[in-house]
Amino acid sequence: MEEFEPKIIGFFCNWCSYTGADLAGTSRTKYPPNVRIIRLMCSGRVDERLIAKAFTAGADGVLVCGCHPGDCHYQKGNLNARRRVAGLKPFLEAIGIGGERLRLEWISASEGPKVAETVKSFTQTIKKLGPSPLKKEAE
Amino acid sequence: MKGDMYIARSPDKETADKAECGGAVTALLKFALESKKVEAVVAVKARDGNRYDGVAVVITDPKDLIETAGSLHCASPNIARFLKEYLDGAFNSKIAVVAKPCDAKAIIELAKRNQIKLDNLLIIGLNCTGTLPSAKAKSLFKEQFEVEPADVVGEDIEGNELIIRLKDGSEKKKDLAELEEKGYGRRENCRRCETNIPVMADIACGKWGTTDKDSTFIELCSDKGADFFEAAIEGGAIKVDQPSGNAVESRKKKDQAAVESAQKWQEKDFATLEEMSAEEKFSYWSEQFSHCIKCYGCRDACPICYCEVCFLEAERGFIPPGEVPPHMLFPMVRITHVMDSCVNCGQCQDACAMDIPISRLIFMLSKKIGAIFKHEPGMDVTALPPLRTVTDQELGQEGVEVTF
Repeated sequence: MEEFEPKIIGFFCNWCSYTGADLAGTSRTKYPPNVRIIRLMCSGRVDERLIAKAFTAGADGVLVCGCHPGDCHYQKGNLNARRRVAGLKPFLEAIGIGGERLRLEWISASEGPKVAETVKSFTQTIKKLGPSPLKKEAE
Repeated sequence: MKGDMYIARSPDKETADKAECGGAVTALLKFALESKKVEAVVAVKARDGNRYDGVAVVITDPKDLIETAGSLHCASPNIARFLKEYLDGAFNSKIAVVAKPCDAKAIIELAKRNQIKLDNLLIIGLNCTGTLPSAKAKSLFKEQFEVEPADVVGEDIEGNELIIRLKDGSEKKKDLAELEEKGYGRRENCRRCETNIPVMADIACGKWGTTDKDSTFIELCSDKGADFFEAAIEGGAIKVDQPSGNAVESRKKKDQAAVESAQKWQEKDFATLEEMSAEEKFSYWSEQFSHCIKCYGCRDACPICYCEVCFLEAERGFIPPGEVPPHMLFPMVRITHVMDSCVNCGQCQDACAMDIPISRLIFMLSKKIGAIFKHEPGMDVTALPPLRTVTDQELGQEGVEVTF
């Protein structure tokens, strides 16, 4: 049987993690190709709807990356993301999707290796969890 | 002064006779209208004398207040939504509103969202240990009490007993826990509600702490409420005594007992959702949501849903239009939008035509989210919805998973 290749949606902040991912690319750091990165102006843009949409569209995991607290281009946008992710986990848990399928990570523009590392470990986690139950529905 | 407690009754005999517990609430409302402290009163009355059909009414003539005297346990009108939809959220007029704890909580949640102007409201809270679903109540009276529902003129929950009063003056009692085992009894959300005394209102009124049937125990919970109540005493609109230490103690004990029973129900209700494995949870909820007929009933009934143009409407292009059952996004968005502020009023589940246990899920989530953010919905108007508000202190917290 073919190994399960998860589909991960990454919501990356334009000012830090997206540039960080760029850095990982230009420094030729290898990381799993499972993540589909969507660039947002701020991780604070991520709300329940986007995450729900990602899961119902067939994502096995959602990775939200933003600036370290205090570094946000809009002061507190990333803190919004932190609260929402913390609040959404019990919800995902309760309806059987699983809170582990949602991860938040702070990655600055200079942390190219951290992008690779995060994507690697998150892909591993999702591989272990298997396909999202919603995925079967979406197909 | 805020925090003061009184035993109160109406000086007017007609009010005291028609109303319950000495008619203190009706007397206060009457004073509010007569002294022109408010322009209108929002209270609940039985529509056409039918005790199973309580409707919210706006009263401007003190003479009409007597129609709203006495409590209705078999009705749960949506007071907060009523205020917002039909009375401009009290932005343009001063209103006194009679509210159960869940109504008062919902009013406060709407005030946080700028949908109700709290400054213009005087919330007179009523103690509540639960309401009965109206259709079920009728069959309960018929099948368990063996009386005609139309003959019931009053209900009461006292400790563990449901007491009904009949037209001929007699009373019948039954053990509430036993009835609830059999599937009768209070509404599901009422069983697990821990807020029996509406301390978030301006004035909390109830029978706990009184010794006779003709007086009401009153606690002044805000400065606004205290000013109003003291004016009512001065104006001779209400007769008051000081409660004894025993009275205060017994009120506290009864509240404690009700809270404990609520917590037991919470454990029991939540266990049904929590004990499943992830796969079972998913198939359970997919099955439940597949019953959804997209009637928008839960959204329209929810007292804290307030967006003018809802994201779930077809024209927003987010949910694929014309599908029943709706796309999974429909319940997901519906739940996540209110789960940080659920006041456990149960209106969504009452409105659900397909009996999806949605209130149980949302309330469970709101409890969990409340524990994460140390937030209790509906208690304090300055504590904003935790999933929408960040504080300055959080800037100093570095991690991804922090304690809020």
